[in-house]
Amino acid sequence: MSVSERDKYTGHMTTGHEWNGIKELNTPVPLVLLVFLSAAFLFALGYWILMPAWPLGDTYTKGTLGFDQRQHLAKQIEKNDSEQSRWIDPLVQLDFDAIQGNSQLMAIVDESGPALFEDNCAMCHGSDGDGGRYFPKLNDTSWLWGSDPNVILQTLAVGINSTHPDTRIAIMPGFGAAGVLSAEVIENLVAYVQSISSSHNTSIEQANMAGKEAYSMYCAGCHANDGTGNSVVGAPNLTDDYWVYGGDTTALTATLTHGRKGHMPAWDKRLSLSERRILTLYVLSLNQSVVTGDKP
Amino acid sequence: MIFTIHNKIERNSIVLALGIILVSAVGGLVEIAPLFTIDDTVESDPDMRVYTPLELAGRNIYIREGCYSCHSQMIRTLKDEVDRYGPYSRAVESQYDHPMLWGSKRTGPDLARIGEKYSDLWHTRHLNNPRDVVPQSIMPAYSWLLKNDLNTRDLRGNLKAMSRVGVPYKDSMINLANRDAIAQASPSSGDVAGLIERYGQATSVRVFDGDPQRVTEMDAVVAYLQILGRLTEVAHSDTSVKFDSKENVASAEGS
Amino acid sequence: MTFPERALATRITLLMLGIGLIMAFAGHDIGFRLQGAVVVAATLATLVVLFLIRTQPEPSPQELTYYYDAPIKAGIYLSLIWAVLGMFVGVWVALLLAYPELTFDYAWSSLGRLRPVHTSGVIFGFGGNALIATSFHVVQRTSRTRLPDQLSPWFVLLGFNLFCLVAATGYLLGITQSKEYAEPEWYADIWLVIVWVTYLVLYLRTLARRQEPHIYVANWYYLAFILVVAVLHIINNLAVPVSLLGSKSYSLFAGVQDAMTQWWYGHNAVAFFLTAGFLGMLYYYLPKRAERPIYSYRMSIISFWGITFMYMWAGSHHLHYTALPQWVQTLGVTFSVMLIVPSWGSAGNALLTLNGAWHKVRDDATLRFMMVAAVFYGISTFEGSFMAIRPVNSLSHYTDWTIGHVHAGVLGWVSFIVFGTFYSLVPWIWHRQRMYSLFLIEVHFWLAISGTIIYLIAMWNAGITQGIMWRTYNESGTLTYSFLESFVAMHPYYVARAFGGFLFLIGAVLAFYNIVMTVRHMPIEREVNKDIPVGLMPVQSGEATA
Ligand code: HEC
Ligand code: HEC
Ligand code: HEC
Ligand code: HEM
Ligand code: HEM
Ligand SMILES: [Ca+2]
Ligand SMILES: [Ca+2]
Ligand SMILES: [Cu+2]
Repeated sequence: MSVSERDKYTGHMTTGHEWNGIKELNTPVPLVLLVFLSAAFLFALGYWILMPAWPLGDTYTKGTLGFDQRQHLAKQIEKNDSEQSRWIDPLVQLDFDAIQGNSQLMAIVDESGPALFEDNCAMCHGSDGDGGRYFPKLNDTSWLWGSDPNVILQTLAVGINSTHPDTRIAIMPGFGAAGVLSAEVIENLVAYVQSISSSHNTSIEQANMAGKEAYSMYCAGCHANDGTGNSVVGAPNLTDDYWVYGGDTTALTATLTHGRKGHMPAWDKRLSLSERRILTLYVLSLNQSVVTGDKP
Repeated sequence: MIFTIHNKIERNSIVLALGIILVSAVGGLVEIAPLFTIDDTVESDPDMRVYTPLELAGRNIYIREGCYSCHSQMIRTLKDEVDRYGPYSRAVESQYDHPMLWGSKRTGPDLARIGEKYSDLWHTRHLNNPRDVVPQSIMPAYSWLLKNDLNTRDLRGNLKAMSRVGVPYKDSMINLANRDAIAQASPSSGDVAGLIERYGQATSVRVFDGDPQRVTEMDAVVAYLQILGRLTEVAHSDTSVKFDSKENVASAEGS
Repeated sequence: MTFPERALATRITLLMLGIGLIMAFAGHDIGFRLQGAVVVAATLATLVVLFLIRTQPEPSPQELTYYYDAPIKAGIYLSLIWAVLGMFVGVWVALLLAYPELTFDYAWSSLGRLRPVHTSGVIFGFGGNALIATSFHVVQRTSRTRLPDQLSPWFVLLGFNLFCLVAATGYLLGITQSKEYAEPEWYADIWLVIVWVTYLVLYLRTLARRQEPHIYVANWYYLAFILVVAVLHIINNLAVPVSLLGSKSYSLFAGVQDAMTQWWYGHNAVAFFLTAGFLGMLYYYLPKRAERPIYSYRMSIISFWGITFMYMWAGSHHLHYTALPQWVQTLGVTFSVMLIVPSWGSAGNALLTLNGAWHKVRDDATLRFMMVAAVFYGISTFEGSFMAIRPVNSLSHYTDWTIGHVHAGVLGWVSFIVFGTFYSLVPWIWHRQRMYSLFLIEVHFWLAISGTIIYLIAMWNAGITQGIMWRTYNESGTLTYSFLESFVAMHPYYVARAFGGFLFLIGAVLAFYNIVMTVRHMPIEREVNKDIPVGLMPVQSGEATA
């Protein structure tokens, strides 16, 4: 049955078998294939000798290079750390004024700040620090806790209302829910708060006097008599046109009824001191760029 | 030579089949079996925590929704990953992960160290509609997580099955799974002290979704996300690898 | 089917109906109950068919010596249905990644649930049905014998599709084990084991009845596909269900062992489902269509055993730089690199087989599909071996480069070989002179090739951009790009990918149409009895150049 024949086209013999019309040539394995196979095997052999490779019961061959991906990484990081110390050391040791006056260090802040901010902060505060509902704007000039870089640095380390033991605490009480203020008083307060905000055209004179009274009784302690806020307790300025939780009647009513307690995480475990300092300066520069952005 | 032997093999389907099985079995055996016998495959950490019932429920929802198709939970030993996400992942961290969720695609960022990076409120709003908080996001909205009450009744069986595959859940944990889940997400209405006693001080007991009245699927998912990377400290405390200069500086600062 | 076979089929279906009813009424969770409902619906449909054919006469003894082609025909249709469905979902998923709002506010329609419908739909639904159908065809022809019985091929084909259906509807309901390409839950997994063992037995029985002394290469590959997939499937799916009446289970392995097992499976699902099986296909239909002998029998041997041996070591290249011990990664790299040799051996063997038939490749779009498939097989395996090298993988892993590599394989190789095969096979088994429209085949070819190229270029660009952005450092040694920037940069590529995929999908729809029209409108060829096992006749040109 097995009768080989010569393929006219290639000149090779067939194996003599046939399956439903399919035949096979008995062409020898091309030399290149064998060469490649040997080369690939030699590569593998070399790799096995140099690197950790073969399991042996409860251990494995460690390879003559003694290479380990974790140690390799540790070395890389060590090298990088020593290279970076040229700017990390001054950045960590100098005070902020000195850094701000040092154009080389500030160049590093400008270079590193954006990605660091976008990877860690932008999720809440927006890519350009524009904030959003429930998360404050960082690219303006008003600060809950003040614009001193050391204050901001501290905020970054411990967070606000965070799980950190030394966290900053900022609580807007829920006057309605706690039964301190009736719905009617809250309604008045809302109208009053809206009236002092610069986002409203109504002036204070036209505002609801009842609201004003309640305000000085319950709110002024934290938000100050004139509503400009208090950076000691993190109480926001109510007279500007920016609202973390919204300035419409519904949102304000909710704020006064249920209170607010924004949570800003602590970063001391996640970001190094130098990173936090970069972010502090970067955050401060955000609002400068708004100012300069206004007058190109 | 090979070809004459083969001439025989290819004439007997059983020999051919056995040949295939033998030849194909080697690789898997050599690569998988030793992972159970070589000691330093998985670091040991006696303090390694298990998932609370609420976190486990959240993990099941994470699987159900296919989050792993866009998010990895495996920080590789590469500098850029460590710089971006934190200490690289250790084997012990997924020791109780049946199955593991290391992932193979990063359409979204790695989540291995997401725990406590953001607030509960942020997670809740983000999952409800990512574009509410991250305008550029391409992540799907999971609005039903806030609407669906969490099925806590089945948690007991889930813990039991987990203990069958080797996770050290004690009987008390299994029996009280339902109550522990409720207590964790709605602290005012449950036995929080018992929960902490069973699962440890580090357990986060909070109203994760902002609504203390209901235990929703959102509670579970957020509880799960907030525990990621926090079941063991091994990745942060390994002294043989000096990569966490971050922490050293942090403690030196003493803020 | 003979009467006893019909009776047995009815009993099996009733048994399945019973199981479905138990699932539907006693199930603990709503998902499990709905899965029961799917089983009930599928078995009821089968029962209706069995009822309708109850009076049909039994096959005559004469007919029982012919090849048994009915399940092959059904398999081709099922494969095409899954192709259109799976690729439609693929385009949808691609669009969602570019425009996340293009969906409904329903859980079932969210990306995480649709994605496995796409992957399983195309790999198992489209690819699996094509493999089952062609394996029945090839094993009969190359063994010159009929399948041993009429029931088991139907059981395998329909049982497999029940598995696919339960899997796909399960994902939509949120039922998944999360193990890539093994997502179906424990009950579906067990069912597949039963189906698969039947498949293996059927295959071995057919081989045992063969009238050729030698087993043809294509059958080696099909056999490896069936055997190894069985082993992989059983081990990777080991799990403990929460309840025998619930859908949820927990994988037996955890952490690093689970990861290695999963990617030992995952990689070899590629190797033995998407590669070995389709090489079997290539080894029959390409030489048939080209009417050329296989270039080298010896190269076939080297490649076959090389692939069978080496692939099984390569899975750890999915876990480079992870918590998987480095020694396993080393083995993964080295075997992946060596793997290029048998892979190119097969691709080269196929292309060299076309020597003397290149003019046909030029004129015959069907053969051109197969030629392109062999080329893309070469490209994707080369790319795979390259990506398996650790430093390369450090860049490519987690990015869209992987997705590009995947689709070089599944579009360029798997889909092309299937379409080339179907365009040859359909006229043969339906005994038509040729396909309904050769022009549409030509159009399909160009749609498919341009769709594939657009897809690949978009994903290669996307992946490499992503990989580079993630690791770019400033001069000061800090990261330059945020993650956010990296995925915002993907948008144009995602749009392009969706467009390329759309072209590919149109091509698949045209194939479906063309095949249906061939069956319905092309005249039957007279000389039917050429394609029968007895008679020992080599196939004549009339069949081979359809
Ligand atoms: C989980 C969301 C979240 C993330 C992430 C986050 N913040 Fe905040 N941040 C807040 C909230 C909420 C507040 C306001 C807290 C309050 O209501 O008192 C805040 C407040 C601040 C403040 C005080 C603003 C002021 O006016 O005094 C600064 C500064 C700040 N964040 C900077 C950052 C930086 C820098 C990062 C990144 C390292 C960051 N934040 C990450 C939520 C977040
Ligand atoms: C105990 C101090 C305290 C008192 C008393 C207090 N507040 Fe506040 N208030 C805060 C703090 C702190 C915040 C910021 C909370 C946060 O950001 O999470 C705040 C936030 C607000 C906001 C939200 C501002 C925005 O940008 O959305 C409004 C409005 C407000 N307070 C109004 C009032 C009014 C009206 C009263 C009196 C009824 C009052 N507060 C009393 C501390 C106080
Ligand atoms: C389309 C793919 C996709 C799916 C599916 C997906 N995500 Fe995301 N995810 C993203 C992208 C892209 C981002 C980054 C932008 C953002 O924050 O929305 C992200 C961000 C996140 C983040 C913030 C991570 C960080 O470090 O900033 C969390 C937490 C998260 N996703 C959780 C989930 C969970 C939980 C699920 C499933 C219920 C899920 N994701 C499903 C794509 C996805
Ligand atoms: C119409 C053509 C197709 C389109 C538009 C398409 C689109 C997609 C998309 C968008 C993804 C998800 C990628 C991600 O998560 O980033 C994907 C994944 C995948 N597709 Fe397709 N696809 C198509 C055809 C196919 C075919 C025909 C097959 C198989 C035969 C296939 C197999 C896969 C696989 C295996 C994955 C998973 C890859 C991974 O997890 O790494 N696709 N596809
Ligand atoms: C020599 C042959 C091949 C080798 C060595 C190889 C290697 C690889 C590598 C290194 C990856 C990336 C893993 C990662 O970084 O996550 C990968 C992914 C993949 N390859 Fe291949 N490949 C080969 C051939 C093929 C072929 C022919 C196909 C398809 C027909 C294919 C389908 C896939 C799929 C589906 C994935 C994605 C797995 C996932 O992450 O979900 N490969 N392959
Ligand atoms: Ca994948
Ligand atoms: Ca499975
Ligand atoms: Cu692979």
